[in-house]
Amino acid sequence: MYYLGVDVGSVSTDIVLLDKSLNVVEELYLKTKGRPIQVIQESFKILKSKYDDKQITASGVTGSGRNIASFLIGADAVKNEITAHAVAALNIDKEVSTIIEIGGQDSKIIILRDGIVIDFAMNTVCAAGTGSFLDRQAERLEIPIEEFGDYALRAKSTVRIAGRCAVFAESDMIHKQQLGYKQEDIIKGLCEALVRNYLNNVAKGKEIIQKVFFQGGVAANKGMKAAFENALGFEVCVPAHYNMMGAIGAAILASEAVKKDEGTKFRGFNIAQSNIIASSFECDGCPNRCEVIKLEENGIIIGCFGDRCGKHSGKIAV
Amino acid sequence: MMKIGIPRGLLYYNYQTFIDSFFYELGCEIIYSENTNKTILDNGVKYCVDEACLPIKVFHGHVYSLREKSDMIFIPRIMRLYKNEFICPKFCGLPEMVKNSIPNLPPVIQDTLYADSKTVLKKWAFSIGEKITNDRRKIENAFSISLKKHKDSKKGIRDKNYKINVALSGHPYNIYDNFLNMNVIKKLNRLNVGVITEEKLNEEYINRQVLNLYKKPFWTFARNTYGFTTYLAENSLVDGIIYISSFACGIDSVVIELIKDRIGNFPFLILKIDEHTGEAGFDTRIEAFVDMIERRKGIEDNISASW
Repeated sequence: MYYLGVDVGSVSTDIVLLDKSLNVVEELYLKTKGRPIQVIQESFKILKSKYDDKQITASGVTGSGRNIASFLIGADAVKNEITAHAVAALNIDKEVSTIIEIGGQDSKIIILRDGIVIDFAMNTVCAAGTGSFLDRQAERLEIPIEEFGDYALRAKSTVRIAGRCAVFAESDMIHKQQLGYKQEDIIKGLCEALVRNYLNNVAKGKEIIQKVFFQGGVAANKGMKAAFENALGFEVCVPAHYNMMGAIGAAILASEAVKKDEGTKFRGFNIAQSNIIASSFECDGCPNRCEVIKLEENGIIIGCFGDRCGKHSGKIAV
Repeated sequence: MMKIGIPRGLLYYNYQTFIDSFFYELGCEIIYSENTNKTILDNGVKYCVDEACLPIKVFHGHVYSLREKSDMIFIPRIMRLYKNEFICPKFCGLPEMVKNSIPNLPPVIQDTLYADSKTVLKKWAFSIGEKITNDRRKIENAFSISLKKHKDSKKGIRDKNYKINVALSGHPYNIYDNFLNMNVIKKLNRLNVGVITEEKLNEEYINRQVLNLYKKPFWTFARNTYGFTTYLAENSLVDGIIYISSFACGIDSVVIELIKDRIGNFPFLILKIDEHTGEAGFDTRIEAFVDMIERRKGIEDNISASW
């Protein structure tokens, strides 16, 4: 008996299977690359070789691609990332009071007291300081992103980098490179700039108290963890499955949703073999001209979304 | 019959009853722009200066859509709505902004309005009316009928019978333009959340709230949103506040901080709107906010709150 959790994020799609006691027994981490459907199909192909449809008793989805994923896999719980991350963290430690989550395009802070989310904030329209930006800089410096953190830890001194805007940060870094600063020092400076930006922007006015969990893909970066600890003055905890927390939360939420309903809505791993086509069209029913997304499996429409009035999305009962 | 084009943007949402009635009584044919839609947004972004906020851009789109259908377009220069206060400076320059950005416009009715007394308002109405008719009695009549209709009209939203209620705050054109705010009211209602807006709170209470500020607010919109949100929060009349703010709005940037400062840890969500039509980020924030309120209230008869 397993609970399936899927987090379709902007950069990565994470899939977990939890056992009855909510331990992670399987985790898959794939790059979304703007193709959420294919990525889910790919991962289901892997899971299919090891597990049986009947073993899945609940399935939950989260992440910015949760709509498309819920139609595709048949989800019992469709939840936002904030709730999913909070649920997953609380499952590990009831005492967690602050969650710092930095993903591919979002950064969030979640404030919890006594096991309840009492406040949260997300970055606004700009993705400065998130995973995508770090990825881009790693690429530019020709350093694998996995080693980025180690570089930062090796630094002996720091170079100050402007952290408020990704464009400014990049030009600042280039200037400092041209002046001959060491790469390690620049990378450490970049980590500190991102942390400064996070604390002054996303976390502005929020009371960050221990225990702090640092999760999301960027938590893999040891330089970022060190920069947070340096700025906050206390330990920041990176949970074992830091990059799977959204998916874990979705699986836990699904396990609870299914108790109240009858049986799971999970459509089975066989969708891996299906011919699934997502197409979009501009609805001309009214001047809103919504961009409607239509999901077809072997020629049969399994879901529509993206319309404001429900004309298309309301038709199919999933 | 003279065709008057009325752009459905900015303060149209506050004064539609008056505007509609006034031009009707003067014997004009009224041509409205459509409710904001993608074409209007696209044309607005195309013709407006790049630095303006989204509501101003959208207003340009509305004017654009009217330019071939109307004899005159109504774009008044609104300076003041309340004694000793101002509104956003973009309103002061709105006629020039529009006229210099959109080519081939018909004549624009752009009379300057300081609406802080009835006398001044009446003078303004006459200066417009005289462009349309020589009959002063007709203008006088149109003015008093329209003013009465405006006063009697129902303004604002107050939902009933919801378990959770939030104050929906921000500039009226962000709250009432369902395209710009991605149907936020409908979304909230669907999540079983009711909405109340500032028009439903007696102005006396709003004005009392701002007395504590170290300086009297300069902006009318700032006074309204500050007074409304802080009063409802302090008296626990709602479960949370949602503030819809357009990206780069100067007034919002100040008033949001003032509100936060006063209400402490009362649930407060800021929704930034700009050109993007992707709703995922918007929905995530709204859903998470509602989840949080449910948890805080300890509502347990709902799946989303079961953990």
